[in-house]
Amino acid sequence: MLNTLLKKLIKASAGRSRFILAVMGLSIALLLILSAVQVEMNYNDMLNNSNNRDSVANFLVINKNVTGSGSTTLSDAEIADLKKQPFVDATGLLTPSRFKVSAQSASNRIPFYTDFFFESVPNDFIDVQSADWKWDDNSNYVPMIVPNMFLTMYNFGFAPSQGLPQLSPELVKSLAVQINISGPAGTVKYFGKVVGFSDRISSVLVPQPFMDWANAKYGSAQNEQPSRIIIKTKDPGNPALVDYLKAHGLTTDADKTRFSKIRQVVNLVISVSWVTGAVMLLFALLVFTLFIQLTIATAKEEIYLLITLGAGPKQLRRFLVKQFFPPNIFIVAVVLVIIAGLQVWLQHVLQMQNIYVSPVISPYTITTAVLVLLVLWVVNFSTIRKYVKHV
Amino acid sequence: MEVVAATTVKLTARKIGDEGVQADECFREELMTVDVNHLLKYGLPSIGFRSFTVFLYFSNMQIELRQVVPVPLKDKFMQRQSDVWNRNLVFAQGEWAKIKAPSGTGKTTLVHILYKLRHDYEGLVLWQNKDLRTIDESALAQMRQQQVSIIFQDLRLFPSLTARENIELKRVLQKPLYETEVIDAMAEQLGVGHVLNQRAGLCSYGEQQRIAIIRSLVQPFSWLIMDEPFSHLDQVNMRKAADLIAAECKKREAGFILTDLDEDDHFEYARVLNL
Repeated sequence: MLNTLLKKLIKASAGRSRFILAVMGLSIALLLILSAVQVEMNYNDMLNNSNNRDSVANFLVINKNVTGSGSTTLSDAEIADLKKQPFVDATGLLTPSRFKVSAQSASNRIPFYTDFFFESVPNDFIDVQSADWKWDDNSNYVPMIVPNMFLTMYNFGFAPSQGLPQLSPELVKSLAVQINISGPAGTVKYFGKVVGFSDRISSVLVPQPFMDWANAKYGSAQNEQPSRIIIKTKDPGNPALVDYLKAHGLTTDADKTRFSKIRQVVNLVISVSWVTGAVMLLFALLVFTLFIQLTIATAKEEIYLLITLGAGPKQLRRFLVKQFFPPNIFIVAVVLVIIAGLQVWLQHVLQMQNIYVSPVISPYTITTAVLVLLVLWVVNFSTIRKYVKHV
Repeated sequence: MEVVAATTVKLTARKIGDEGVQADECFREELMTVDVNHLLKYGLPSIGFRSFTVFLYFSNMQIELRQVVPVPLKDKFMQRQSDVWNRNLVFAQGEWAKIKAPSGTGKTTLVHILYKLRHDYEGLVLWQNKDLRTIDESALAQMRQQQVSIIFQDLRLFPSLTARENIELKRVLQKPLYETEVIDAMAEQLGVGHVLNQRAGLCSYGEQQRIAIIRSLVQPFSWLIMDEPFSHLDQVNMRKAADLIAAECKKREAGFILTDLDEDDHFEYARVLNL
C-alpha cells in the first residue's frame, strides 16, 4: 500500500526515454563484456582441451639441425631441459621404428609398393579421433595415421603424372595395405589400415604399443635415443621459444604461424569488445545516475513532505532502490540468456569444424555478470542515498 | 490535570535555605516509580531533605524548552514579554497546552522548532530529555511515526493524491494503528466523507483542513502539535473537530500543544501561554 502511494508521488516518468536509452546501452555493454569473457573462456577451452582436432594450441616437432657431422639424437639431459622451459606445456617423444618397413597394395586394382618407416607419439599429441586407433597382440591389422600432405601429393602430383586414379580419404581408409617388416629373423607380413589423416605430424604414425612391441621384436639395438620430440606450446611465436631453439641448435618443422594469427585476431576482438563494453557501461551508469537524480529532483517537494510527515530516509531509499534496481537484474538475466543461446549455437557450429567447446557458458561469465550487477547496485544505492539526503 | 497513575519519575531535589550552603551543592536526583496521584496529594516520600523544591521529570514523553529564541527574530523578541521565548518551560506528558499568539509573534516558527523543521534558534529543545538537535534522521522519522503528530497551518496535503490516499499514507507509514475503516468513520464525523475520493488539490480549504486533522489522528502519538487547526472551519465543524481531537488524545493519553490567534474554549486546557 505504502509503495503504491509512493509510486504515485515519486513518478519515474520524467526522462523515460532517457531511461530506455540507458537500458539499451547497458544491455549492449553487458553483451559485449560478457561475450568477451565467454570468448576468452572458449579460447582457453580450445587451447587446453586435448580433444580438439584442429586445436588452436600449437604442436611443434623439434629435432636437431642436420649439419653433416655430429649426432642428431637428443640426449636425456637435453630433453629434460626442454621440458623445464616455461613455454613448453607438454612434451612427447617421437619413437622411430628401428626396423625396415615396406608397404604394398593387398589388391591388384591399385598396385603400389614403397619402402618407408613408422613413428609413434603418445596419444595426447595425436589430432585424429578414431575408434580404430588401438592395437594389441590380437589385433588383425595395424592402424596408421598418415599426413594429409601425402594424400595431397599423390592426388595432385603423382596420380595424374602416372595415369593413376585419384583417391578420396574414405577410399584410402577402406584399402587394406600389406606391411612387410624385415628384422634379423627375416620378413614378416602384417595388414595395415589408414584410420586418419593428420596435419600435425608429418610422419606415418602407428600406435605406441605396436611400436614398442615391434621395436622389441624386430628392432636392431642401435639408435635407441630419440631424435625428434613433439612439444605443445601456447604460442609458437614466443621469442623465448625461438631463441631457445636457436641457442641449442634445434629446429622445427612447418610454418606454424597460422594459429598465432588466429590468436592475435581473437585477442584483438576480445580487447575491442572489452574496451567498448567498459566505455558503454560507464556511459550507461552515468545516464542511470542522471535519471535517478532527475527523478528525485522532480519529486523534491513530495520527498520533502514525505520526510516531514515521518517517512524514514531508509524507507524512501528502499523504495527508490526497488524502483530503479530490478530493471538491472532483468537486463543482466536477459543478456545471460542471450549469451547462453549464442554459446549453444557456437558449440554447434564449431563442432562441425571438429572444434569442441562447452555448450554451457563459463562460470567466469556468470561471475562477471554478478560483479557488474554489484557495481550497478552500488552506483544505484549511493546515488539514491546522496540525492535523498540533498532534498 | 490528569496524569497517568503510576509512572517512573525523576525527582530532582534541591536543598534550599541552609545557611552558608550553596543551593547547587545540595543537589540530588532520584529515579523512582511512584503513584503520581498519591504524590500530588501527599507530597514526596522522605528522601532525607528538610526542605526542597521538586521538579518532576516524566521519563516518557515530555517536551522541555530552555531559553529558546529564534535567531532571526531575536532582537524583536528579547524586548517584549513572552511566556515561551527565552524561558525555561516543561510540557509534561499528557498536558494540553494552548499557546495564544497574535500575528507576527513567531507562532509557526515555534511549531516548526518543536517539530524539528528549523534549527535557527538559540537555547535547547528537549524531547524526552534529549536535545532535539542531536536526533538523527532515522530517529526523527521514528519519532514522527510513533510519538508526535502535527497539523500544519498550511495543511501540507499532497494535491495529486486523493483525500483518502493522503490519510492512508500516514496510516501505513508505520505499522498501522487503525484499520482503514476508521478513516471513513472519522471523515463521516467531520462531514468530509463525500470528498474522500477526490483529489486533495480540488478540495476546499475547509475540507482540506479536516483531511489534515484526520491524517494527524490515524497514527500513534503522545504529542499532537496543532498550528491554527481550525482556521478554515465554521463553529459547528470546529466543535466536531475539537471533539474528535480530544477523544483521540484521551485514547492515547497524549498531550497537545495548540497555537491560535485568540482565546477559545475548544478544549479543557491545562495551561494557556502567551507567546
